Amino acid sequence: MKSLLVIVFSLIIGGGGDFPDANEILKKVDENLMSKNRITESKMVIYGRRNSRTVTSKGYSEGDTKSFTEYLSPEREKGTKMLKLEDRLWIYSPSTDRTIQLSGHMLRQSVMGSDLSYEDMMEDRELTEIYNAKVIGEETIEDRKVWILELTAKVDDVSYESRKSWIDQERYVPLKEELYAKSGQLLKRITLSQVERLDGRWFPKKMNYKDMLKDGKGTDFIIEKIEFDADIPDYIFSKASLKK
Amino acid sequence: MILAFQLAYRNLMGAGLRTWLNAAVLSFAFVVILFFNGLLDGWNQQAKRDNIEWEYGKGQLIHTDYDPFDPFSVQDGHGILPTSAKENLVPILIRQASVYPEGRMLSISLKGIEVPQEILGLPTDLLENSKADIPTIIGKRMATSANLKVNDELLLRWRDKNGTFDAKNVTIVGIFDSNVPTIDNGQFWIPIKKLWEMTGMEGHATMFISEADQPVDVPGWNFRSQEDLLRELSEIIEMKKASSSIMYILLLAIALLAIFDTQVLSIFRRQKEIGTYISLGMTRQQVVGLFTVEGGMYSIFAMVLGCAYGIPLLLYLSATGIGIPEASQNMGVSLADRIYPVYGIVLILGTIALVVISATIVSYLPARKIAKMDPVNAIKGKLQ
Amino acid sequence: MIEFLLKGILRDKSRSLLPIIIVTIGVSLTVMLSGYIRGAMGDITDQNARFETGHVKVVTRAYHENMDQLPIDLALLGVDSLQEVLSTKYPDVQWVKRTRFGGLIDVPDENGETKGQGPAAGMSLQLLDDKSGEIDRLNIASSLVKGNLPTKRGEALIGDDFAHKLQIETGDEITYVGSTMNGSMTFKNFVVSGTIRFGVAAMDRGTIIADIADVQEMLDLFDGSSEILGYFNEGVYNDDKAKTLKADFNQNLDAADEFAPMMLTLKEQNNLASYLDYVDLYSAFFVGIFVMAMSIVLWNTGLLGGLRRYQEFGIRLALGEAKNQIYKTLILEAILIGVIGSVIGTAIGLGITFYMQYEGIDISEMLNNSTMLMPTILRSKFTPDLLYIGFIPGLIAMVIGNALSGIGIYKRETAVLFKELEV
Repeated sequence: MKSLLVIVFSLIIGGGGDFPDANEILKKVDENLMSKNRITESKMVIYGRRNSRTVTSKGYSEGDTKSFTEYLSPEREKGTKMLKLEDRLWIYSPSTDRTIQLSGHMLRQSVMGSDLSYEDMMEDRELTEIYNAKVIGEETIEDRKVWILELTAKVDDVSYESRKSWIDQERYVPLKEELYAKSGQLLKRITLSQVERLDGRWFPKKMNYKDMLKDGKGTDFIIEKIEFDADIPDYIFSKASLKK
Repeated sequence: MILAFQLAYRNLMGAGLRTWLNAAVLSFAFVVILFFNGLLDGWNQQAKRDNIEWEYGKGQLIHTDYDPFDPFSVQDGHGILPTSAKENLVPILIRQASVYPEGRMLSISLKGIEVPQEILGLPTDLLENSKADIPTIIGKRMATSANLKVNDELLLRWRDKNGTFDAKNVTIVGIFDSNVPTIDNGQFWIPIKKLWEMTGMEGHATMFISEADQPVDVPGWNFRSQEDLLRELSEIIEMKKASSSIMYILLLAIALLAIFDTQVLSIFRRQKEIGTYISLGMTRQQVVGLFTVEGGMYSIFAMVLGCAYGIPLLLYLSATGIGIPEASQNMGVSLADRIYPVYGIVLILGTIALVVISATIVSYLPARKIAKMDPVNAIKGKLQ
Repeated sequence: MIEFLLKGILRDKSRSLLPIIIVTIGVSLTVMLSGYIRGAMGDITDQNARFETGHVKVVTRAYHENMDQLPIDLALLGVDSLQEVLSTKYPDVQWVKRTRFGGLIDVPDENGETKGQGPAAGMSLQLLDDKSGEIDRLNIASSLVKGNLPTKRGEALIGDDFAHKLQIETGDEITYVGSTMNGSMTFKNFVVSGTIRFGVAAMDRGTIIADIADVQEMLDLFDGSSEILGYFNEGVYNDDKAKTLKADFNQNLDAADEFAPMMLTLKEQNNLASYLDYVDLYSAFFVGIFVMAMSIVLWNTGLLGGLRRYQEFGIRLALGEAKNQIYKTLILEAILIGVIGSVIGTAIGLGITFYMQYEGIDISEMLNNSTMLMPTILRSKFTPDLLYIGFIPGLIAMVIGNALSGIGIYKRETAVLFKELEV
């Protein structure tokens, strides 16, 4: 009887002591998701009010600060290239042969009509760098046990004051993420799925990004091909490569 | 000359009905001209008053990086004014934000205004007295387009000075009815202190409304005087005056046509009289003058007649106003529900001069014929 | 009898010419003025029609619900065939495609990299199609500050203030950056053919006006347009006609399809309903005043016409003609003169009204600032009542005037008449 009470009690308290350190979890997540650089081929499915569209692209990225994306299809987007270096973003359009720098307000526009803004895309700091993490519980998502992590901003200039991350306890990949406003209002939800073993790591190949304040189905990102720690020449991340 | 007036008066009174018909038409023109110009002046004054009351105050001090017509300039167009210059200035801070009525997203301008303030007509006392976390007042146009009513709550999303998202419910504590669409469409008004707190931009403002007439000269800020702000409005009214002038010029033409017609006939019928005047020793020019005065006197009669019904009518209209329905106000022109005509002294005297001079001219034109008459034939009454 | 009188009127110039001229002038003034009042009172309506609402407008229901946000993703598709159907079915209405859009204007430096940027408020119309009449309708030619109207694809007009701010000269190339109907990012280069200023600051900042074909291509609006506006050939709004048109067009509307084209009348848009009712009421009131004023004038003319002929009546009485007979001929003559004058006057008045309806009088020269958005062209409006309104003063008032003056005939003693005649 006494032992039963202890068990119940410890369940109510939350059994905090049993949870692993959140930073340890994030580190393991990073081991899965991060790499020195990568080359991806992906498609983005945008659900519009009238129709849905699929945009495919090939992306190169190195660390968190450099990325280069070339759109492959549809015809409309083909040849459009986007270069991000630190906090600057250029877009090259083949039809006008112009390189346009996006800044300020334009970065808050949605990318290709998706629920994602350029700014969302440009957030390039590591989570542990800008958030204090804490495990606040566990749960089961689609038959997989997950830790619930709460991330609270430790720097001022973040878009989202806090986040919640649902991390697979076994594979250490996030299965769900929620982004919150300062007030605690839920703004965006990211759902990750199709976790597969790639190059010795677990990786979610599908991601749904949804603006929670708006009606709609959000935007899907699906990774079709991914190559980690590839050999990417330096010129890729230069403005000259935009016009090539 | 006095003789001419006396004769003219007698002749006109003697003609009875005909005289009064002419005078009636001329008086119509007189009253309509007064009414129309009074209406436009009334509109002008009203629109100016409205714009001053709701938007311009006694001038605006605007941050140099802020351009009211460039929504993106809101981002960086703000700053802190040195304390020394803050006298008589009501700060307004503008931020971009989104609201979500019924699952739709609407981009709005979130405007923080100092509470209390008296220079603008916004019912900021509602903000002051509200217990709501974020009390908001909006205009009737905003309320209609987003389908909102008093006590509604809806989610507002904004960013603080670092760009961090924040979102909270705001409460509509009042819907104001203003004739000025530019402080209404797509805008939410909240207390500036609240906005400072929400964004961490303590002390910042995008613009100031001046409570005093004198310009404020601070580097980094532009002062736009009241007069400067009202210029566009004045041009629109000027245009309206030009287009309505056609209307009463035509009406005046009708009245003048009547006088002309009467003059032609009276000169035709009164040849004997003309002959007599000349044989009595009047020069032809004097006779021409006599007939001209007679014709011109219609305008005096018209004035008297016009005053008889015009004064009460115009005063009544200026007291009750002319109802104007809710027309489209997208053109940036303030149009009140009611316009109260205003009759200025310049307008009244100018109209009197216009009517008298034009009536005299059309009376003179047929009378010139007299100068060519042979007095002997005239006195015989022979047609010439 | 009438033939005889008619001959008299035609041959005796002094008896008929002046009255006919007066009646003609008076009637034409009345008709013209009535038409003008109707036109002038409607100028706010007219302005709305030109820039935003059309006389009728075809949009998708979804677009209509979110009209304030210019949602090009909810635009009409298949507009070419729709426009053709509309033109065939309703040939007395001119149908034009227009799309308004937002975005960004980017100005390149010599290396093709961003030198300056600003927000764009775009309007695309059938600019290169002379038959569309859009250049006149929107007063574009007279609002031009520098340069020329676009003459070929790929050219655009931009707001003059905007051009100043971004230091753009005519002939420069600028890039539009924005989103397509599907949300894709889109870019298009335009050569600035000229700069424009409407005179209303809100319209002048960030304005870019380009041909619809360029914009369709740019925004992926293949065979699409956010709106099709209809303008009545008469040039002015007629609510009954618009309602009939709408009812006819919308009867086949698929209620389930939020992207099916639906028609709206001008009156349903921009809160114009009450304004239009007001215009009707007040223009009726002012037309009433003018008809009354003119009636008084022509009544007076009738009186004078009778008085002018007292000598003649004296002689006719002396010759033994009956007073009744003289009175009767007087009235008949008045009717003839009234009819002739009214018909000619109405014809002239209508002619001027039609001219002022289709052409208008441009008074922008009279104003200090000739680049106002407010209509600087004065227009009249034809309404069917103009056909008969002139007859009230021209015929009825004139005859009453004659009838009143003719009563004098009965009062006159033959002897007195002879004395007056002094023969």
